[in-house]
Amino acid sequence: MTSLAVARRRAEPVPELGSLFERVRQRLPGREVETLARIRETAFARFLELGIPTQKAEEWKFSPVLRVINRPMALARRPDLPLAELSRWFAGGTSARRLVFANGHPLPELSHLGGLPEGVRITSLSRAIAEMPGRVAEVLAGLDDGRSFTFLNTALTECGALIEVADGVEVEAPLQLLFLSAGEASATMTHPRLYLRLGEKASLHLLEVHAAAVPGPVLTNLVFQIDLGAGARLVREKLQLGDEATSFLGRTVMRLETGARLLDNVATLGGGFVRNESELVLDGPGIEALLNGVYMPRGHEHVDTLIRVHHRAPRCHSNQFYKGVIEDKAHAAFAGKIIVHRDAQKTDAYQANNNLLVSDEAEVDTKPELEIYADDVRCSHGATVGDIDAQALFYLRSRGLPKEAAESLLVYAYAGEVLERFRDPVLVGLARQAVLERVPGGEMLEAEGLV
Amino acid sequence: MTPMLEIRDLHVSVENREILKGFSLTVGHGEVHAIMGPNGSGKSTLAYVLAGREGYEVTSGRVEFLGQDLLAMEPEERAAAGLFLAMQYPVEIPGVANMYFIRQALNAIRKARGESEIAPSEFMRKLRSAAKLVGIRDELLKRDVNAGFSGGEKKRNEILQLAMLEPKFAILDETDSGLDIDALRTVAEGVNALRSPERSFLVITHYQRLLNYVAPDVVHVMVDGRIQRSGGKELALELEEKGYEAFGEAA
Ligand SMILES: Nc1ncnc2c1ncn2[C@@H]1O[C@H](COP(=O)(O)OP(=O)(O)O)[C@@H](O)[C@H]1O
Ligand SMILES: [Mg+2]
Repeated sequence: MTSLAVARRRAEPVPELGSLFERVRQRLPGREVETLARIRETAFARFLELGIPTQKAEEWKFSPVLRVINRPMALARRPDLPLAELSRWFAGGTSARRLVFANGHPLPELSHLGGLPEGVRITSLSRAIAEMPGRVAEVLAGLDDGRSFTFLNTALTECGALIEVADGVEVEAPLQLLFLSAGEASATMTHPRLYLRLGEKASLHLLEVHAAAVPGPVLTNLVFQIDLGAGARLVREKLQLGDEATSFLGRTVMRLETGARLLDNVATLGGGFVRNESELVLDGPGIEALLNGVYMPRGHEHVDTLIRVHHRAPRCHSNQFYKGVIEDKAHAAFAGKIIVHRDAQKTDAYQANNNLLVSDEAEVDTKPELEIYADDVRCSHGATVGDIDAQALFYLRSRGLPKEAAESLLVYAYAGEVLERFRDPVLVGLARQAVLERVPGGEMLEAEGLV
Repeated sequence: MTPMLEIRDLHVSVENREILKGFSLTVGHGEVHAIMGPNGSGKSTLAYVLAGREGYEVTSGRVEFLGQDLLAMEPEERAAAGLFLAMQYPVEIPGVANMYFIRQALNAIRKARGESEIAPSEFMRKLRSAAKLVGIRDELLKRDVNAGFSGGEKKRNEILQLAMLEPKFAILDETDSGLDIDALRTVAEGVNALRSPERSFLVITHYQRLLNYVAPDVVHVMVDGRIQRSGGKELALELEEKGYEAFGEAA
């Protein structure tokens, strides 16, 4: 491949971005810890070297990320937020524990981690850097996935958390990570870094909510590393409620060991530009991973989902059910790939991506893929792009529902059906409300009793 | 008195193929008419055309429902006017709870008639008793509309809606197909309980079996898009004996 071809797949960062590290390195946490400083420096150098993927890069074909990241942006500051109003994004119920971040900076006033069982350690990144810099260095350096935005995160991260649950500890109370953005006049960015380790047979219900507390141009570039020990169980539910001006680049890299179980639910219900990447490595036999997602871009929003599930061991079962409703001039993209490695016999893997276009100008690109190197497997995938179901529409109308109300109900139901597989009722309530607001004519629907 | 329903010389095509070929029928108030006919004779086509489904081209003929031009109305207007179709293949609607759907339907019809919404407690009372009448478990009321219902449960759910919406004219399109004898009896009892001088039924069936339970006032034999013969209950028995061929030849 010629260097010109490579060059076309990558763009050089604008000078303001290219020089950002030099300008801020002296105020990043852990600057005085040499190993950390070196890791950051190397990471930024890798970012510069890799550049920013253009739409010529296969995995970014549908997403013009340049437009949201390649511009002058300062690191977001801790905003002044009206604390009393922020509880509207609390999920998990009264027993939930919570870490709240505003533009990436911890808000201890709203955080609540008391009374967690022994064996659960939750440390904010800044405290972890102060108290166990070696561990943080391990975590940061432990992810070398060759992705420019991961390196950018490593270089610039100021905040986040390390969550560690010891072997056999089942955490009853849901843990919510609430990320609030607050826009300023000029664009800013934040690079939260999360690390979660569940020990053998440990379990956790994690709620991740992203919301725009103050509208405005904030880019979140989040990296989440997750390790699930043998027999561990994780339920992770992510709700994204950004606004048109916010951008989100989220990358989750997850490694699962023998017999681990994952339920991963994602509802993307707001954000000007959203890219959700998940890379799952099923590294032991008998793992179960169920991934559900729903997205509903409207206006000029753009939502891109990229999923890679690596079946590396025999008898694992993975399912992906992603559904989207695309409105107005919005654009959605879905690329999912199941990779079954040679030793992963008896793999059972499925992937479905169904889309409903409710406007002539809405657009969707869907690309499910299978890559199979084992012979005794059951793998399949399917993708659809469609219109409102004519039979269902007639059924509702024949029972007296006016056409517009019936259409709204069907659009609502199409998206809402995914939420039936979500677990936390409070998060589901927030998601349903956001879905309803996004359904054309949703105000005609009676919210009460609408499940 | 204007009849409940009057169909005059109805011709309907689907994809340029004529399916109904001059169908005429008059149903009076409180009457139960049965239509029997072989597969493909156009029974469901008739039912759908009456309910207002798209994709059917009415090339000629007229349908009056309580004196109104039925074919000019939208499906929801027909429902509000009091027409109901229990479908041969009820549709699954994932994401919409059955109970919610029934309440929305009931309120939409009430609203179209200028009535107020039903109070939640009254709705629940009505729903419980209707569910009991047709033998539907509570759990199915909370589930998504018809999603994962067995064939019999779907049919019962149609009659549940019939009981809730209290139409003036109900078309039952092969509600009996695929039902075991117990389910058939329950459904028939449900229908019988809803019979009244103000309510008429058009019972479409393939078998004579259902008519043992729901006694019709008139039986029509439909072959090849039109009624070939009409008569009393005994016609159903004759049909059972001789088969449809005998009637087809009469055409
Ligand atoms: N939507 C449709 N598209 C094409 N053909 C149809 C459609 N609906 C009905 N038909 C045809 O019309 C004829 C009558 O069908 P139908 O009304 O379902 O009969 P019945 O209910 O008496 O079995 C059949 O030949 C059927 O194939
Ligand atoms: Mg039929």
